[in-house]
Amino acid sequence: MCAALCSPAERDAFKRDEEAFMSRFSLTEEEKNLIRRRDFKGLIEAGMNIYAMLKIGSATGNSLYRMGAQMRGETYEEFLKTRKISGAV
Amino acid sequence: MGKIVAGIGLSHVPSVGPVVDRKREQDPAWKPLFDAYVPVREWLAKLEPDVAIVVYNDHVAQFTFDQYPTFALGAADRYAIADEGFGTRPLPEVAGHADFSIHLCEELVNQEFDLTVCQEMGVEHGFLVPMNLCFPHGASGWPVKSVPLQVNVVQHPLPTARRCYRLGQALRQAVESYPENLKVVVLGTGGMSHQLQGKRFGFMNEKFDQWFLDELEKDPENLASLSHHKIMEEAGAEAVELIMWLTMRGALSPKAKRVHRHYYAPMTTGMGLITFED
Repeated sequence: MCAALCSPAERDAFKRDEEAFMSRFSLTEEEKNLIRRRDFKGLIEAGMNIYAMLKIGSATGNSLYRMGAQMRGETYEEFLKTRKISGAV
Repeated sequence: MGKIVAGIGLSHVPSVGPVVDRKREQDPAWKPLFDAYVPVREWLAKLEPDVAIVVYNDHVAQFTFDQYPTFALGAADRYAIADEGFGTRPLPEVAGHADFSIHLCEELVNQEFDLTVCQEMGVEHGFLVPMNLCFPHGASGWPVKSVPLQVNVVQHPLPTARRCYRLGQALRQAVESYPENLKVVVLGTGGMSHQLQGKRFGFMNEKFDQWFLDELEKDPENLASLSHHKIMEEAGAEAVELIMWLTMRGALSPKAKRVHRHYYAPMTTGMGLITFED
């Protein structure tokens, strides 16, 4: 599914109808639920590759650092405070 | 004959791409990184290389997990800019050197590196960010031709650090047996310390990174003994990309001299830079 998201038309299809998009791929209900909930921590724990997940991030408006903050159990703002120069984004 | 004139180890942090595309290099948060490349670009302009061999990893853009090669070499005269999920960057197509690439393929396979040979492939940030930093493009294209050499550092099992080092040694022989005069720079890209997944997201280790830079200069054989586990534990899961710097180092002669060295770690990745002249 994530490989498909490397095309503008497919990203649009995902944004238009996420359920229809997901149904084209052999995802389990639990995997779909993790995507529906934008549960990036759960996706990684379920074995997802980070670079594949970044494509879901792109299609859902979640940057790497937003996903990272969630995986750390922090808000985005809390995460940025832990960085040396948080303007380098 | 072919001659390796320089080697560069550098990070390929993806956020550098949009900074270049939006001309934000002088932003205070980014200026320290780009300033470090000013003398490197001047040095490269004097060396006048013809070709850059870029050792990098694809991040699930060109290669996906249904077919993921351990080592893949580009053998084309042009490479498209790949969309890795964020849209295609506004960059000119990359010029390749198919004749040189095919020579490298033959020589490396004869030296028992059984490569995947790619006559058509797209390149993404792993390749493009190092090119942006070292060889800025103009309206008419890039100042050097390129050979992409893709290494699997993403999907286990990964090649060992020593295997990557030996690939560099084999690459040197392959370059030097090319019959035409060609000046070559080898770029080893990725790292340094970073982890992008799980609770340890954002982990960095400057002490490890500085030690790696020291050892890369003085005792690369020692680095070739590092296990993936050790690198991941000390420097973060994605720091294992550093094994690609060993391919660059393996391609240099024992007399290669270090020229530049820089380190900047503002956000989540130790951005290292080291250059050698050979």
